[in-house]
Amino acid sequence: MPNVLTVRGLKKSFGSQVAVAGIDFEVRAGEVFALIGPNGAGKTTTLRIIATLLTATAGEIKFLDQDLCKDPDFVRERISYLPEEAGAYKDMKGMDYLHFMANFYARTPEEEKTFVDRAVEITKLGEPLGDRLKTKVGTYSKGMTRKVLLARALMTKPVLAILDEPTSGLDVLNALEIREIVRKYVKEGTSVLLSSHNMLEIEFLSDRVAIIDKGRILDSGTPAELKEKHRAANLEEVFRSSVR
Amino acid sequence: MKKFANLLKKEIKELVNKQLVFTLLFMLVLYNFIGQVSKKEIQKIVGVQTISALDEDGSASSQSLLKGLSSARFKILDQSGKTKEQALEAAKANDSKLLLVIPKGFGDSLTAFKPSQIETYSFMRTFSLIGARGQIVVDGVISALNNVLSNNFLKERLPDFDPQSLKNPIKSKDFVVVRDHVAQGSATQVAGLMSQQSMLIPIVLMMIVIYSSQMVISAIAMEKQNKTLETLLTVPIKRTSIITAKMLAAGLVGLISAGVYMFAFKGFVGGMTGDIAKAGAQAGGGALMRQLGLTFNTTGYIVLGVAMFLAILVALALAMILGVLAEDFRSAQTMIMPLIFLVMIPYFISLFADMNSLSLPAKILILAIPFSHPFLVSQNLYLGNWGMIAFGLGYMFVVFVVLTIIAARIFSTDKILTMKLRLGKKKPAVA
Repeated sequence: MPNVLTVRGLKKSFGSQVAVAGIDFEVRAGEVFALIGPNGAGKTTTLRIIATLLTATAGEIKFLDQDLCKDPDFVRERISYLPEEAGAYKDMKGMDYLHFMANFYARTPEEEKTFVDRAVEITKLGEPLGDRLKTKVGTYSKGMTRKVLLARALMTKPVLAILDEPTSGLDVLNALEIREIVRKYVKEGTSVLLSSHNMLEIEFLSDRVAIIDKGRILDSGTPAELKEKHRAANLEEVFRSSVR
Repeated sequence: MKKFANLLKKEIKELVNKQLVFTLLFMLVLYNFIGQVSKKEIQKIVGVQTISALDEDGSASSQSLLKGLSSARFKILDQSGKTKEQALEAAKANDSKLLLVIPKGFGDSLTAFKPSQIETYSFMRTFSLIGARGQIVVDGVISALNNVLSNNFLKERLPDFDPQSLKNPIKSKDFVVVRDHVAQGSATQVAGLMSQQSMLIPIVLMMIVIYSSQMVISAIAMEKQNKTLETLLTVPIKRTSIITAKMLAAGLVGLISAGVYMFAFKGFVGGMTGDIAKAGAQAGGGALMRQLGLTFNTTGYIVLGVAMFLAILVALALAMILGVLAEDFRSAQTMIMPLIFLVMIPYFISLFADMNSLSLPAKILILAIPFSHPFLVSQNLYLGNWGMIAFGLGYMFVVFVVLTIIAARIFSTDKILTMKLRLGKKKPAVA
């Protein structure tokens, strides 16, 4: 499988504070690649750099063989980013929000409609939002908002979806729904780069995993490879073994 | 362009919410109401005043005095034949502002050129500034009385002379010179008319700048607070378009809000000063200002418009930078303060001092504040100082360009997410 994203020697510092201390990884087409690590490990900073929000201090990032830093507009048209604590415009109705976001990616009104229809389909999965899309986002529960935001992130069928803690703060059922939606879109060709604390989620979703701590990748591979290498029963034990 | 229009529409929709519409409507109704109430009260003051009079003297002089008062906008209710107590009660009941008591011997004292005393009883039925007119009425009555009596004295003793010429033997014919224009009138009158004519400029500017800046700062702060900024920054639209859409939306909505505010304010001020302004116009104030070249022509209005537009652009660009520093909507309220100070300083100086006659350091400080220039432009237009006008407009343009470049730089780099003004404990930027 060709690489969608290739990261080499990525470093990021905020003044004297080193957030990412030189990491290498790649995301292949049609796979879910996960970064797992404790708080402050550098996961979100890495995702923000790839989402073109932050600039790298050093290193090389290639997205579809293009230099990410040189042409951020090329990247933004082909990725979508779902931040950990993302929100939607509270005074907008769910439907209006989807149209507003689709408008940035669609070249024609027909394409915009296709994107929105796809987003609506996503919101129907699991516990359907139904008519709630006609009400203001400010009235939604956290789970409903997250579902709309995920629908927004996947409606354009991006080449790469960057999901930061996609199920953070959600109950079991909502989290399950979100994971199923992500898996469905990966099958349809979208690659996913995600970060999470939830090892169960990582094991369920990811094709490959990188364990990151203090800005460095300690180990990477498929969950099965890592479990075998560390003689661990699950990813939590792999994680503990790696950071020791 | 499609993406920009999409963003601009969203920004405008966010700003024009129910709260804004309600606030503007409320302001319109409230100011109009206050204006109408004030107008009625002022009409009462400048209109015919009802007073009661108890003439205990009954002499020709006292009758002449009451006749004189009648011709000086006083409606006299005669209480003759009553005691002072009865007259007081009657005056209280008939809504008189004042009871005037002319004691016995008043006429004799006048004839003998001795000080004559009258008594006045003011009825204070309210303690509001406009409502408590008792003292104004008393002063009016005494002034009218003295005028009538002194004129009568002089006519009696020196029948061949005009009493007014005797009382004011020196008459002054005043002229005002502005550049090469000379016109008959007093400097005080011209200063008053100038202040009336240009009163709206600083208020309009201040309102638009504060409204628009507040909107820009809040718009960015709300994006941060609602956690929508990160998503917006990763969509395929140029960062400069995000800045422009926010500035344009805030500018447009700020302009409309300020327009509504000024319309409401005009209703309020018109109610307060309508009659006084009419009197000024009747007194030939407009002609005097035209003779002195102190009215704006089309070029003047265009230059003033450009100056105000540049000031608004500077405010919006500065507000963008301040908005980035705000972490949430609450801190955005604090961020507007430096901008308000920068507008208030030249505003108050233009009200109470002449900017051109300030000391050099103060003058440099004032000239360095971009918002001083619209105030200076209006003064310099009157005086024909085109060099200073060009400098002011150029300076504001340069400041706007520099601030916009800074804002664009902030929006194009990590600073949009990492730059925060924290007055408390520092938080780590890494996650």
